[in-house]
Amino acid sequence: MTAPISVESATGSIYDLGYRGYEGPRLGRAHAIRSLFTHSLRSTFGIGRGARAKIAPLALGAMAVVPAVAFVGILALAARFGEGTSDLIEESSPFGYHTYFGTMSTFVILFCAAQAPELFGRDQRHGVLSLYFARALRRSDYTLARIAGFVTALLILQLFPQTVLFLGRVLLAPDVVAKIGDDVPSIPPILIQGLLSSFLLGGLAMAVSAFTPRRAYATAGIIALFVIPGIVAGVVAGIGSTDIGNVLFLLSPTSVLDGTNAVLFDIDFASEFFFIDLPDWSYFAAAIAGIVGSIAITLRRFVKVTA
Amino acid sequence: MPSPTSWSATLGGAARSPERNPTPPPRRSGTLCPVPLISVRSLTKRYGTVTALDGLSVEIEAGIVGLVGSNGAGKSTLLKILLGLIDATSGDASVFDLDVASHGTDIRQFVGYMPEHDCLPPDASATDVVSHLALMSGLPRTAARERTAEVLRHVGLYEERYRAIGGYSTGMKQRVKLAQALVHDPRLLLLDEPTNGLDPAGRDEMLELVRRTGTEFGIAVIVASHLLGEIERVCDHLVAIEAGRLLRAAPLHAFTERTGTLAVEVEEGSEALAARLTAAGLEAIADGRAVLVAVADERPYDVVRDAIAELGLPLVRIEPRRHRLEDLFRDGPGEAVAADAEQPPPVTAAPAADPPSADPVSGAPG
Repeated sequence: MTAPISVESATGSIYDLGYRGYEGPRLGRAHAIRSLFTHSLRSTFGIGRGARAKIAPLALGAMAVVPAVAFVGILALAARFGEGTSDLIEESSPFGYHTYFGTMSTFVILFCAAQAPELFGRDQRHGVLSLYFARALRRSDYTLARIAGFVTALLILQLFPQTVLFLGRVLLAPDVVAKIGDDVPSIPPILIQGLLSSFLLGGLAMAVSAFTPRRAYATAGIIALFVIPGIVAGVVAGIGSTDIGNVLFLLSPTSVLDGTNAVLFDIDFASEFFFIDLPDWSYFAAAIAGIVGSIAITLRRFVKVTA
Repeated sequence: MPSPTSWSATLGGAARSPERNPTPPPRRSGTLCPVPLISVRSLTKRYGTVTALDGLSVEIEAGIVGLVGSNGAGKSTLLKILLGLIDATSGDASVFDLDVASHGTDIRQFVGYMPEHDCLPPDASATDVVSHLALMSGLPRTAARERTAEVLRHVGLYEERYRAIGGYSTGMKQRVKLAQALVHDPRLLLLDEPTNGLDPAGRDEMLELVRRTGTEFGIAVIVASHLLGEIERVCDHLVAIEAGRLLRAAPLHAFTERTGTLAVEVEEGSEALAARLTAAGLEAIADGRAVLVAVADERPYDVVRDAIAELGLPLVRIEPRRHRLEDLFRDGPGEAVAADAEQPPPVTAAPAADPPSADPVSGAPG
């Protein structure tokens, strides 16, 4: 049974409501900052953007996690062959908490080079900055929210594979409780190294991309900044100048992170970097100086940039 | 000084406390504002050796205000200082009775800005851009979405709002720029050359949108433009600036009021006519095909009619000459102000003795 159509509904007209004002809440600056942070985090992974914007971040993210997944898969296979096998595999495997930051560093650097210009470069290239700065935000709010979003993205990128590794190791172990006891002490170093790495690489990548609207320049600049100093340090030390080599080592972001990683996970560093002779604290000091410096430079840039 | 009950005091309070829901400034059609909407005092802005604003002082009341001046006169600079996008070199300015240098975010919550240049990312859709910017103005997420749909419909973007902006025409982009300036229901709208790059039809539509925004929505509007003809069509007040200085600020009609001059245009013989009129005791000079006659009372009309008839000249039109906006910039600032001081004579009736004058187009006899 259909209801009979009344005269009113049949002849009901569509009213042009015209412009209506907004009388609801205005949440102001803090809300704008939070929203921009979320937007930056999502944009870094290409979420909320077209399909093409997702290719690079998702591909690099997948590459960063593939070794961890593969390792867990091997552990699962090994579990069928009895207890001894998986222990043997773990010992001989190149994939552990202490090596994984190094394993995925190439992908993290490429991720920085590909995605940092997406945030600052895009806003500058298309003149969007003046729309941001004309809103309930300060220039510094904009800058810090963008950096925080990118750093958080890097943190997720790097901690996700470590989580896969942890869950795989624990859940596939014959004695889960004992394995948790073994692995939990590794969590603080993982978190600290993850934070240092995300802030240092993220801060520097954002600083470089803040200075040019051109995407290609920013990408090249980021890769150069992350790769070249390490090579130079190695070469200089290799030809015998340990003192200069030491200084250059601390100027290379990736080398500094190798240093903090070695200290945090208590690895014998000297065997790999025989030419380096630096105190443990110097790596952390260099990392923190790099983080603070890069953020300060970026803030200064956006205070001055014309919009 | 703002009274304690004025909204500006409330706004200032909201800035200090965790700002939840600051009271908006009143709509311009609402309660009377105790202070000018915008107040600018000896504002100077220098870029290196270039002086963009040179000691500009002006008070602007709510309305649709045209900010006119040639390119480089300092229009955009003034708007940007009002928004807190750039700092003034010296002097100060306030919007809603709040200082622009210290209360930028409080002011900008209630101001919409449409920049002159391109400012939209081509790979995002209009919906994405406008709703994101609504969040940046402090609107909650659901409100941002609803207002975006509403305001885009309002500026005339329908299905295309889900497509990437890169494929939009200039007219559509200008509409999106206007929409993002309106999405948070501002109390003041700053539009910088809103008809830039539009074809004549697009211009008409944009100007109509601007006019409706100002008259129907109770939003104060400042339109910066170098095109006087457009400003004339939508604004009720004009602020004219030149080389960073104030030329004049007045209601629009004051700019275009009649002068004490009658323009008599003839096909030929303007020199002879001028001579005849001068001989008859009038102040008359030939200006190309026209003769400009000073009129203080009714007498010149009859003299002009008779002179034309006696000389047998082909008359094109007779009309009282008005000030034109262009004169503002053609003459020096001093002259424009002086001309304004002249009281126009009460020219009420067109010279009925000359039928051609009623229709200037078909007026050529013979």
